[in-house]
Amino acid sequence: MTPDGGIRAQGVRRSFGPVHAVADVDLVAAPGRVTALIGPNGSGKTTLLLMLAGLLTPDAGSIRIAGADPVTESYVARSRTGWMPDVFGTWDSLTAREVLTTVAAAYRLDAAAGRDRASELLELVHLLELADQPAHVLSRGQKQRLGLARALVHDPDVLLLDEPASGLDPRSRVDLRVLLRHLAAEGKTILVSSHVLTELDEMADDAVFISGGRTVDTRSVADADRPREWRVTGLDPAALAVWLDENGPAYHQEADGPGLLVKLTGDAEAAALLRSAVEGGVAVSSLAPAGGVLEQAYLALEEERR
Amino acid sequence: MSVDVEVVGSAPADGGAARGRGTWSLSWHGLRTVTELELRQRVRSTRWKTALIVWFVVVGLITLLTTGAFQILSDDSGLGGGEPFGGTVYSIVVGFVLFLGLLVAPTLSSGAINGDRNAGTLATLQVTLLSPAEIVLGKLAAAWIAALAFLVASIPFLAWALVGGGVHWFALLTTVLMLALVLGVVCAIGLGFSALVSKTSGSAVLTYLTIGAVTVALPILFGLLVPVTSTTEEVEVWDIEAGYDWEETTAPECEWRTHEMPVWHSERTWWLLAPNPFVVVADAQPLQGDVQELANNANMLAMLQYGVRYARTGDTGPQDWCSDFVYENGREVRPDSPVEPVQVTDQLVWPWGLGFDLLLGAGGVVVAVNRLRIPTTELPQGTRVA
Repeated sequence: MTPDGGIRAQGVRRSFGPVHAVADVDLVAAPGRVTALIGPNGSGKTTLLLMLAGLLTPDAGSIRIAGADPVTESYVARSRTGWMPDVFGTWDSLTAREVLTTVAAAYRLDAAAGRDRASELLELVHLLELADQPAHVLSRGQKQRLGLARALVHDPDVLLLDEPASGLDPRSRVDLRVLLRHLAAEGKTILVSSHVLTELDEMADDAVFISGGRTVDTRSVADADRPREWRVTGLDPAALAVWLDENGPAYHQEADGPGLLVKLTGDAEAAALLRSAVEGGVAVSSLAPAGGVLEQAYLALEEERR
Repeated sequence: MSVDVEVVGSAPADGGAARGRGTWSLSWHGLRTVTELELRQRVRSTRWKTALIVWFVVVGLITLLTTGAFQILSDDSGLGGGEPFGGTVYSIVVGFVLFLGLLVAPTLSSGAINGDRNAGTLATLQVTLLSPAEIVLGKLAAAWIAALAFLVASIPFLAWALVGGGVHWFALLTTVLMLALVLGVVCAIGLGFSALVSKTSGSAVLTYLTIGAVTVALPILFGLLVPVTSTTEEVEVWDIEAGYDWEETTAPECEWRTHEMPVWHSERTWWLLAPNPFVVVADAQPLQGDVQELANNANMLAMLQYGVRYARTGDTGPQDWCSDFVYENGREVRPDSPVEPVQVTDQLVWPWGLGFDLLLGAGGVVVAVNRLRIPTTELPQGTRVA
């Protein structure tokens, strides 16, 4: 009846009194892929994640987490879900290691297995040196990493991460990206909400855009069929503009720089443009996608809503 | 590929009872995990150590002062050191320990759930495989153990007062046991309120109010109900003979007469006194039936016990107004009275009171567990889930 694995939410709704935090969300996140959940502030991302994590009952709609319904099969769903909230506390007087062994015990791992798992995760998130320090000495980013380790304690099939990158230094961001790609390669389903779209570009396979509590768009990040903007600059901008007027696609001047923006579909089209420009004797100094895929998609959606 | 769309709607969420472990399932492992977590955090706060030391010093001082005071009193009265002061000192120390316990216990539990919620550590515990019952009972166990630490810190003084004499060693056992249970009940009530109210100060106030209601308001109600529970009845009285004018030199004869007078039926309202923690602790000790000895011993717990037993006895039947007034040649004669001296009931009061208190505590636990069920259909006003 229910397709196994991943996250499937259909027609999910939830309101708090008169406020429709989530009005109608459809979301599918497949195993082995990283899915980005994107939306402006107050669009219902966190409420949706609370429902997926099994903390809130949806008013309507159905949710399946790795095949289990978080409402009627809470225990099974919880055993397969790892959740990292956007804002969370830590037991401040406990050490990082104790936090993880406690969570392991809460997930019914026996003491020895819990200790091993804690050491493993501390190494994974690079907190080994701080393992036996009380959690209140950790910085925001370190706490964030501890929170990620906590969500991974029971080796869940589905990971729900709410703003995991906030407060992380550049090194940790790269580590996070590598870790999530690695987990996805193991066949886990990963749903990440974030505001930092350029970062999601590099780690997400799919994206779900929600706005005003509704799913407004679902797309694949690597989708080559959609046209996107590329930024082209030349040694002589005027010559480049003249050449584009005659031979190239439609373009317009970049608002805050010397570059020109052209709409191209796929890398092949970009290569063709570059070749013909070089053959045409135009000194092109750079040709690259302008902004991330997700950023462009996001801004385009914003545009539509106005 | 088809995905069912089912409306979950307003049906109460039956937190995972369908498969796996449900809301009320309990395991030793889960309980221990939560209790350990809570105790670890408590032990590491310095506040807690200070509180325990202050407690020890205060109870010690009270014991010392009361002992000193009664030593001086008994020396002055010329009764000599042989007079057992243990009863008095013991009852005062027990009273203070209970009083201070009732003040401290709510602070140990009334922030356990809303405090965690405000700190953002509750939801991360709820999403684990711990059942709500394990979280609540684990927190209760931790708060209770903390309260018992205070009780253990006062045992030396209780035992010392007991050694002073006059109190049966068995009384120490029942007293400590009842104190422990009462403190556990207070912790459970605090836990219930901490799940209901979002502010820790609010739940503390509500817990104190509940304790105040049981300890003070119910006895006041008992007093206010006296006019309602008093009825005018014909009472058999062993009275001085009719027409005796007190001028005669011969002693009056006593005879049965019937008087119309109000009779207080406290046996109808005694149960209002029962839940009072002081009554529970006092009544659980072995009953001392001899009123004269009670008065000499000045053991306030024993007197309180006698009082509530007297209230439970209620209407004592025929009264003797005569025997005390029979004088012959200026000497009291005290002839045999046909009226039996008042015997207070040996029916226990404390099981009813403790039973009521335990129900209150159980109510607190049930409320807290229901509030921790996930997924929740509604959020408490002004609280965040995470």
